[in-house]
Amino acid sequence: MSEPTADQLRRRALALFGRSLHIRTVDTGSCAVCESEIRLLSAPPYDLHRLGFFLTPAPRHADLLLVTGPAVRAMDNALLKAYEATPDPKAVVAVGACALGGIYEEDGLVHGALDRVLPIDVYIPGCPPSPLALLQGLLVAVGRLEERVAALSFDLVAEAER
Amino acid sequence: MTARTQTQKLPAAFAQVAPGVSAAQIDSAQLGAITHELADVHRARLADLFASESEQGAVVLRAVYAHDTESRYLVLECPVSGPLFPALSDLDPAAFVEECEIYEQFAIRPDSVKPLNRMLMPPHAEESFPRLGRRPRPPLKDVHARHVVAGEAFEFPFGPVRAAGWESLYMGLVTTGEEVLDLYLAHWHKHRGIERRLAGLESERALFFTERMDGLNAVGNGLALCRAIESAAGATVPTAAAHTRSIALELERIYNHAAAIAATCQTTGLSVGQARAEIVLERLLRLNAAAFGHRYLFDVLAPGGVRRAPDTAAIREQLPGACAEFRRVVQALLRTNSHVDRLETTGVLTREQAERLSLVGPLARASGCTIDSRADHPFAPYDQLELAPAVGEGGDVLARMKVMVAEVAASERLVLDQLGDAGPGRIDVSPRSAAALGWAESPRGEALVWVAFDSRGSIERARLRPAAVRNWRAFDDAARAQNVFTDIPIIEASFWLTVAGFAR
Ligand code: SF4
Repeated sequence: MSEPTADQLRRRALALFGRSLHIRTVDTGSCAVCESEIRLLSAPPYDLHRLGFFLTPAPRHADLLLVTGPAVRAMDNALLKAYEATPDPKAVVAVGACALGGIYEEDGLVHGALDRVLPIDVYIPGCPPSPLALLQGLLVAVGRLEERVAALSFDLVAEAER
Repeated sequence: MTARTQTQKLPAAFAQVAPGVSAAQIDSAQLGAITHELADVHRARLADLFASESEQGAVVLRAVYAHDTESRYLVLECPVSGPLFPALSDLDPAAFVEECEIYEQFAIRPDSVKPLNRMLMPPHAEESFPRLGRRPRPPLKDVHARHVVAGEAFEFPFGPVRAAGWESLYMGLVTTGEEVLDLYLAHWHKHRGIERRLAGLESERALFFTERMDGLNAVGNGLALCRAIESAAGATVPTAAAHTRSIALELERIYNHAAAIAATCQTTGLSVGQARAEIVLERLLRLNAAAFGHRYLFDVLAPGGVRRAPDTAAIREQLPGACAEFRRVVQALLRTNSHVDRLETTGVLTREQAERLSLVGPLARASGCTIDSRADHPFAPYDQLELAPAVGEGGDVLARMKVMVAEVAASERLVLDQLGDAGPGRIDVSPRSAAALGWAESPRGEALVWVAFDSRGSIERARLRPAAVRNWRAFDDAARAQNVFTDIPIIEASFWLTVAGFAR
């Protein structure tokens, strides 16, 4: 990722939350390769942390959900719980062809696309999306979160600040 | 099990149906007898057990035995009438996972009194839950979780959603607070019914799904499928294409072993080691992309050959450097006592345990088993290459790491040696009314695929048995071996299996 983009991203995350952005991942039946690319986000060649992003194991600390896989029905419960536990404003990012609906047909085992289960803010295509594509998608998601914060009514903002 | 008198010979004559594969049709009484006899044959092991059901509702059970000394697979076919099939797991404990799978999918039960475990069917599955079989579904109360919690012990639930980069998996850790007394896994959250999805497909589409079933073994599982398809068609792929396949398979092994070592560092908290190993991993993935156009080597294979030839110049230029860097990282890790201390005597699997469960791949080799399907069941080009399976000793996490390190070096040599011979090449294969077995040594061990085609050339039944299906069954044994809580992730990283491969 070029430095201007990296800088831009860090500044926007800071301006938006006054802190770093936290990401929670959920695997809904991936082939493990999307997971592998997500794992590499924190490796030195990509170093997610320098951009102000952190991976968190706790949905309650998360601003962003990064979801892989074709939405296997058996994961419905866990996925919805993670979604509900993530405080507003939040953004959901669908990662990979599986999550976007390009691999599995809907049937009794899988929904076949993530947006049949959750409202999706950003779609990152690829099988798998490379770590750079993931970073690009995260940048777009930060933009969505900005809009969402801007749309909050003053009452809510005041309440949040109290 | 009864004491084994080790004989070398197979009990009966079986007809050869393809190079390296023999088959026989037998009845249920014979299946038990043959299993009993094979238990006494040196280096004969149960490699797979699965069922299929015809449109008329006739169920056939198939047991695949591998006789590693004679370089032969035996496919035993046995019709099943009625609700019971002969239980093999009393004689051969390795069969238990498959028996449970058959019960869930086909609603027929092994004729033993043992309670069954849940494999891929969620507890809340409704009557309409898609399965392979057509018979009415078994009552769920028949299936038990395996854990017993008693006395001071309690069950610590973990998952299915886990830390970033770790696949969904539920772990029930039975503990008194520190030591892990027992552990059970639930893989069903990721079950996507891939075997069912392959029914009715053409070869090429089936390969697409098989590569994406368990993407970290895309080449290993994909090659096993391609070879089954080609065997069913009686076809031989062009030599240059066979070399290209082998190069892709060995590159897959190299990057996976590097990834396993990075993950091991992550689980011991050695951030510097993890970072350095991940730099190597990223280099290897970029090399894959430069050589074949995909970081994880998807879409290299095709039924009948390969889709593309490798960029051999890129491999020649980048592979030695990446592997040298890998060796430097490993040497530094092996000098880091705090890291090595966490790996030694952690997650031990004895050779007896590995043999009893018919484990495969680096996991079995680290426990001292000389098993490697590239050497034991060679096909072109492996029959022309010099192979020496890396066998370790001790069966702990450190032994697994050392086996992987040795295999990276061996695979590097295999890749470089074949660069001059690799090229494109693809022939037409259209098997009809035929069935065959295919195999390949994926990074995690022997991958098996059995596939049957109908008269129009569509798949009737595809059985996919990635190495993960074999090796996860040893995880609770390794976890129980006097380990504490924080050892579990280290053991998982050293197994380096995929949930996707098991749950498929
Ligand atoms: S999108 Fe592709 S790489 Fe990602 S989980 Fe699905 S099949 Fe695997």
